[in-house]
Amino acid sequence: MQLIADRLDRISPSQTMAVHAKSRALKAAGHDVISLSAGEPDFDTPQHIKDAAIRAMQAGETKYTDVAGMPSLRDAVAAKFKRDSGIDYKREEVMVSNGAKQIIFNAMMATCMKGDEVIIPSPCWVSYPDIVSVADGTPVLVPCEQNQGFKIRPDALEAAITDKTRWFMLNNPCNPTGAAYSAEELRPICDVLMRHPNVWIFTDDIYEKLAYDGFKPATILEVEPRLKDRTLTVNGVSKAYAMTGWRIGFVGGPVQLIKAMDKLQSQSASSSSSISQFAALEALNGPQDFIEVMRASYEERRNVVVSMLNAAPGILCSKPEGAFYVFPSIHGCIGKTSRGGTKIVDDEAFVTALLEEEMVAAVHGAAFCYPGHFRISYATSLQELREAMTRIQHFCNGLI
Amino acid sequence: MPALAQRLDNVPVAASVQMTIKARALRAEGKNVISLTIGEPNFDTPAHAIEAAHQAALCGETKYPPQDGVKVLKEAIQRKFRRDSDLDFSLDEICVSNGGKQCIYNALMATVDPGDEVVIPTPYWSAYSLMVELMGGVPVFVGCPQNNGFKPRAEDIDAAITPKTKWLMLNSPNNPTGAAISAQEMRAIADVMLKHPHVWIMSDDMYEHLLFDGFQHATLAQVAPELRDRTLTITGVSKTYAMTGWRIGFAGGPKGLIKAMINIQGQVAAGVSTVGQAAAAAALDGPQDGVAEQVIAYKRRRDLAVAALNACPGINCHKPEGAFYVFPNVAGCLGKTTAGGRRLDSDLDFCMALLEEQLVATVHGAAYGMSPYVRISTATDDDSLTEACQRIRVFCDGLR
Repeated sequence: MQLIADRLDRISPSQTMAVHAKSRALKAAGHDVISLSAGEPDFDTPQHIKDAAIRAMQAGETKYTDVAGMPSLRDAVAAKFKRDSGIDYKREEVMVSNGAKQIIFNAMMATCMKGDEVIIPSPCWVSYPDIVSVADGTPVLVPCEQNQGFKIRPDALEAAITDKTRWFMLNNPCNPTGAAYSAEELRPICDVLMRHPNVWIFTDDIYEKLAYDGFKPATILEVEPRLKDRTLTVNGVSKAYAMTGWRIGFVGGPVQLIKAMDKLQSQSASSSSSISQFAALEALNGPQDFIEVMRASYEERRNVVVSMLNAAPGILCSKPEGAFYVFPSIHGCIGKTSRGGTKIVDDEAFVTALLEEEMVAAVHGAAFCYPGHFRISYATSLQELREAMTRIQHFCNGLI
Repeated sequence: MPALAQRLDNVPVAASVQMTIKARALRAEGKNVISLTIGEPNFDTPAHAIEAAHQAALCGETKYPPQDGVKVLKEAIQRKFRRDSDLDFSLDEICVSNGGKQCIYNALMATVDPGDEVVIPTPYWSAYSLMVELMGGVPVFVGCPQNNGFKPRAEDIDAAITPKTKWLMLNSPNNPTGAAISAQEMRAIADVMLKHPHVWIMSDDMYEHLLFDGFQHATLAQVAPELRDRTLTITGVSKTYAMTGWRIGFAGGPKGLIKAMINIQGQVAAGVSTVGQAAAAAALDGPQDGVAEQVIAYKRRRDLAVAALNACPGINCHKPEGAFYVFPNVAGCLGKTTAGGRRLDSDLDFCMALLEEQLVATVHGAAYGMSPYVRISTATDDDSLTEACQRIRVFCDGLR
């Protein structure tokens, strides 16, 4: 008899672990490694948010909250959805979780049965297909080409929908590509979804505040309010307020599905940290000017990174609308050999050689279900980014 | 609306939560309700734990934590297991979760395949059986009658184990009865388990420090080191340090199982609030005298509640060794009619009538798998507890 459950075998082994482990080992050995692999802001949580958390802990707000979150925070989330996207959610249509990831998990566990298909545009955050698999569903990846800005074409979505389709998952702006959809781009996607009333829609808008050149990422319900009874609008404070460590995500959706997710969370983990909830409350209700400072800084970094990458032979980097990632193609490098003698057979060989020879850590595209590319997080200082891009140029110049 | 998954059909909202909501509604009508439903200390988090969280927030510990827990906390947990239970765990044999509940959930999710059986001594914390069912497993209940002090007998456990058994779940001191298993009784259970090498054993020790009259906590891995390679020991800071709202639980166990649990947690929710982890480390490493003060208060309340309840006609209350619950038998009240004209046919009837006529909220034993009983939490102040017991007396005196 096996001691471990079958469902664990369905989780893909972590693609990034090898790179992370090597990067750590090189750092420990005293090498000057620049890491561009982290998926979180390099800013610290703003002081007024920390202060709110500290006030809460000192005032004895250290007890269980409602599983779905404190009423005050749920109301603040509803107000946020109204303010930013014009969506009307009542308190009972909103719930708070231990990070947005727990919302994905709750949603999939509450809805997916064996054989149900979940459509995920790729490249994608690998947790999407993994969580679907853990919940007994079948991920259906729809590739989105670089020449389409890494965005799903409405006809490709239409073609992927079957009788078994349970969900369509959208990440806008997207990790790892930074691609974001405007209202005009979402319109034809919503039209397709209107024709398929049995499909739930999951829109993960966690990077929404990080968009550049005046681009405004839209969300499904802004564009098509009639999809409200089957859309989950997911967001959180991690990226917008540099609060990854506080672990607070939230969601708005139809009350029946929210209730089911609430029930599931009551059995799997119960409420999120009360202290973190007070911090999130201040983030949503307090001053918002920090976001613009952070956003402007990311925009400058993105511009530097894209132009320096495109100056490296063999690399083709699109300029994405949002998030803090770029996802360049390395097709022009494949088949060549590095200065250190490594044959670049694929994206994994590329990032491994880049780390070993130039001390720059990035993540290969296969980790996002999309080989032939690699992901760079530019949530690090401009000075480090310039140095890292110079090293990448040096690396590519040395390929023969 | 698209469909929900069948796995949620049998999952109710926790009974204690339902009763809490009813009590809150009556309170909102201006009624003076005393709630004895909540399994949460009425003490405050220790000041040094709050200070540690404060410092962590100020110095920027606000980034993604490692999924298995931050090193400082894991080292504190390592010392705690050594100090309290003589258990030596390496750091990769320890993981931190969003509350003890999530540790249990991760463990079951990592191991239970559909059809697997899980042996649960009854009465039990309702989350146990519901989680097992969520995984498609089959709970197998082993009755622990009052005349055995609500403790599982080794021979009954032996009889319940089949080739399909995946887990035995132990909870000492127990929620809802407060019963605690002695080292000698634990040894007998260990001897049975040695005969069944295909079964994992979970020891949920969340209430380990809340023991009275000099009773010594015994945990399975300590009593039977030969079972360590398949025993998972779970505890946390919630009950010991009045830190329920911080949501920090942890587990020590064999490396392979811990790794699988971390893998699941990576899909379910990722890491745990960083400031909460800093607070937990300080609580574990700091002065422990607050714990002793709480134990004195809980013992006083237990004695008060047991004496007052046994003075109520129709109620028979066992005196438990630990935790902050008592679990009186109400068989002598059934078949009778209340002063308000309600006929009592079950423990649920008893609890509902008690709430409506005397404004005392409790939870019925059926919610924990054993009738006719009532769970009373003594985690409230002495005056409220005394007043509640007087009301129960009036209620019982009025039965015809």
